Amino acid sequence: MSRRRLLFLALACAVVLTPLIGQSQSSRTPSARRAAPDARITFAETIAPIVYANCVTCHRPGEAAPFPLISYEDVARRGTLIAKVTESRYMPPWHAEPGFGEFVGERRLTDAQIATIAAWVTQGMPRGDETRMPKLPEFPADGWRLGQPDLILEMPIAFDVPASGPDVFRNFVIPTKLAEDKWVRGIEFRPIARKVVHHALFAQVPGGSRANVDGVDGRPGFGGLSAVGFMDRTDPGLGGWVPGAQPTMFTEGIVSRLPKGSDFLLQVHFHPSGKREFEKSLIGIYFAENGGQKDLASVLLPAVFGLGAGIDIPPGEKQFTIKDSFTLPGDAKVYNALAHAHYLAKQMKAEATLPDGSTRPLLWIRDWDFNWQDGYSYKNPFILPKGTRIDVTLTYDNSSDNPRNPSSPPRRAIFGEQSLDEMGTIGFEVEIVNKAEVDAFHAALASRNKMATDTASKNGTLGRLLARGLRRNMQQLTVFDRQGNVVTRLGEVGSYSQAAFSPDGSRIAVVKNDPDTDGRDIWTFDIATGKSTAITSDAPPDSAPIWSPDGTQIAYVSDREKTNAIYRRAANGSGAEELVYTHTSGAQIILTDWSADGRFLCFWAGETMFVLPLAGERKPIELGRERGGRFSPDVRLLAFNSNQSGPFQVYVKDLAESTRQPTPGGPAVQSTQVSNGPSVGGIFWRRDGKELFYLSIQGGQGMMAVDVLGEAPFRTGEPKLLFKLPTPVLAPAQLSNVSSPDGQRFVFAVNVAARKPAQ
Amino acid sequence: MRPSALVLWLLVLSGAVGLAQSDRGHVQLRDLSGRVIAPFTPSGAASVVFFVATDCPVSNSYAPEIRRVCRDYGPRGVECSLIYEDLDTHPSAAPLDQQVRTHLREYGYLGFTAVVDRDRVAATRAKASITPQAFVIDRSGEIRYRGRIDNLYAALGTTRQQVTSHDLREALDAVLAGGKVPRPETEALGCFITDPALLRKHDHE
Repeated sequence: MSRRRLLFLALACAVVLTPLIGQSQSSRTPSARRAAPDARITFAETIAPIVYANCVTCHRPGEAAPFPLISYEDVARRGTLIAKVTESRYMPPWHAEPGFGEFVGERRLTDAQIATIAAWVTQGMPRGDETRMPKLPEFPADGWRLGQPDLILEMPIAFDVPASGPDVFRNFVIPTKLAEDKWVRGIEFRPIARKVVHHALFAQVPGGSRANVDGVDGRPGFGGLSAVGFMDRTDPGLGGWVPGAQPTMFTEGIVSRLPKGSDFLLQVHFHPSGKREFEKSLIGIYFAENGGQKDLASVLLPAVFGLGAGIDIPPGEKQFTIKDSFTLPGDAKVYNALAHAHYLAKQMKAEATLPDGSTRPLLWIRDWDFNWQDGYSYKNPFILPKGTRIDVTLTYDNSSDNPRNPSSPPRRAIFGEQSLDEMGTIGFEVEIVNKAEVDAFHAALASRNKMATDTASKNGTLGRLLARGLRRNMQQLTVFDRQGNVVTRLGEVGSYSQAAFSPDGSRIAVVKNDPDTDGRDIWTFDIATGKSTAITSDAPPDSAPIWSPDGTQIAYVSDREKTNAIYRRAANGSGAEELVYTHTSGAQIILTDWSADGRFLCFWAGETMFVLPLAGERKPIELGRERGGRFSPDVRLLAFNSNQSGPFQVYVKDLAESTRQPTPGGPAVQSTQVSNGPSVGGIFWRRDGKELFYLSIQGGQGMMAVDVLGEAPFRTGEPKLLFKLPTPVLAPAQLSNVSSPDGQRFVFAVNVAARKPAQ
Repeated sequence: MRPSALVLWLLVLSGAVGLAQSDRGHVQLRDLSGRVIAPFTPSGAASVVFFVATDCPVSNSYAPEIRRVCRDYGPRGVECSLIYEDLDTHPSAAPLDQQVRTHLREYGYLGFTAVVDRDRVAATRAKASITPQAFVIDRSGEIRYRGRIDNLYAALGTTRQQVTSHDLREALDAVLAGGKVPRPETEALGCFITDPALLRKHDHE
């Protein structure tokens, strides 16, 4: 069982909150219920100070809350509602119980304040003497609140948030284009559609590593809860954002690495508002001078988000409990706590027992709400001495009495990353105080992770997850005609991607995944006989098989020692492989073509497309923010995908002009748009150059055909839909020869129907 | 409330525009285009009246479902109307009619019959206290259902992952079938309708 298969779990990172502006009112508002009947509670003198200190951070124009609470009219109009939601403690939103840790930025009213509001409403909401109103807190003007960021990232394309329907979890991939590793000391997040952005989590991933899922369904990014963060991560995360949190730098001395060429991954939880909205977030990143001196560790209880904790909750069970303990192998200074679970969790509680027997409450969430995944930063970070035992108890309610239950009627919930599954952990971000204890500390954590994996392997959790993953990802190589009829199916059902016709149309090259080892190798299939041949069978994952123009060789990308490189070898699998080119930017490279004259390869890495001359010193020529490049049969033109003017479209431009050294201030290379709607690669020139194909992504993936009417100037006819693919194919932007040379046959690894889970 | 008392009460409370008491005891309102309508007196099989507000997030989040209900039941002779809360308390804000027109456009309500409930007269008459709150009125003018649209909200701030009770649709089905509404009254969750008079009262303290 590969560990990588397990690295899919969402990590809710610690959100660092600053104190809310304004002073605490707890000392000046006696309980109104106990107050004498003639005591006058007025807006100006009593209510406004409470509201200004606790509500207006969000309840003011331009912020996340749905209505402002600034003037008397604002507040009185919502008086009954305010009394009700403060009483139920829905507002202000804060889920940690008092007495279990003191946190930065607590948004919590005292019982006395809540009673005062209720009494004011009952008494008819008197206005009072407005000359005695407190001053409205000052909020910084629009713009970056932490100052000008060192790096500003923006979502490349706006995301269309639907008016209604279930909450949307969407992951956006934003290339950092960093030329060297950086250390992050703070992040400021600026959403645009504040009414629908519920929270956001940040992570970094290797450049281009999400290209196979990014935009597959025709919208920016990709779906799911599981993309952000990795559970074997040991460095501090990049944090997150919830409405009302003021941006702040990470706790002093805590920095997080942002490697060169990495992609920033932004997971946003959208809450549809009844009205369609568009989100195009900005992220400001602030760099530190260096990596800092602290030895940091993330302590998760239970380990690995509960993988080995036996989470298997029968339907109807109201009080399913899991417990975990960890004795600290060294002194640890505790900075932040975080909690993560899905919809069924109810209570999450952590307590420390020190070696002297005394106890210290750490965190208690009495009514877990998946929608408010706050991180909790301790106001005064504290040291727990070596030998301290941390105990965590999590409870789940899988009955129909739990309104958050995603299943109706309730269903068995097992450990997993889907929203119907459960998981759960309380995590602590700690500094290992003594250098001498650092190794032992990390070893203890690693051993906990291994134990969790072993337990999950023994109790069947891993087997179930694996079987489900397989069922989800089964494909079969399928050849279609121009009308979309299935001509033939090749090989067994399995896990395939990036199918490509050989230049003579007799064979198919494809990437085949081995789900047991997570290995990825290049295979070929003979269409006439169905015979398959392994071209590579090595440990490193291989991808992007590209046929040489004469069909005797296959080039491919292989991921070795954290760099990726292009290799080639004989297309019959014989002989040794030859290293063609090593890419050093850190971004994943995606090879998409080998020119008909054999002189050039075309690939993209991160957001930039390159043409690689195979002669000479093999120095790639940078073409710009493009992808999926495909040479015309006469190698004079290049067709490619670009999103420079909105969604990805197919364009064609002159190859010689594009690869010439650009003259400063010279004219930009003209390109001609071919597609008439959003598209994602799958570009293919018919051998005679008279027809061009590509995949559109309007209402599913569709194979499009365009007549080439002239080369100078380049002219095309109206794109026509040949057929819709039965299921979307993975990594469509990475496809190469989707068609036979005559444009009569098309090949895709299409999903086959998932089988019923064997329970 | 007896009709004569209602007339008297209205004379005291209502402004120049808004509710009038017709001789048949119907609530008549003037919609945004100036047309006189009687949403509580169906001319077809039944009518649904939704009390809504432009700035209530719960009310707004229901806009797509309100549209779907009206789309689904329109062909069966059900008339829909939206009664907007009168929240013209900000002298600086745009005129309420204009705010409502913008809201109708933004939330996909174009083509809906919409009125502003000046001085809360319709809400008072129908005993509506929440936005959103739905009313089903049968052919005879009797209110057969008063309450939530469905049980999406378990509490304020807690939405169900799955709606398990479509109360408004069940009520409409029952009325159209000539049967008994299973639960004629349910608790609506959302924002409270505020009496503008209460706010005005404190202006002159």
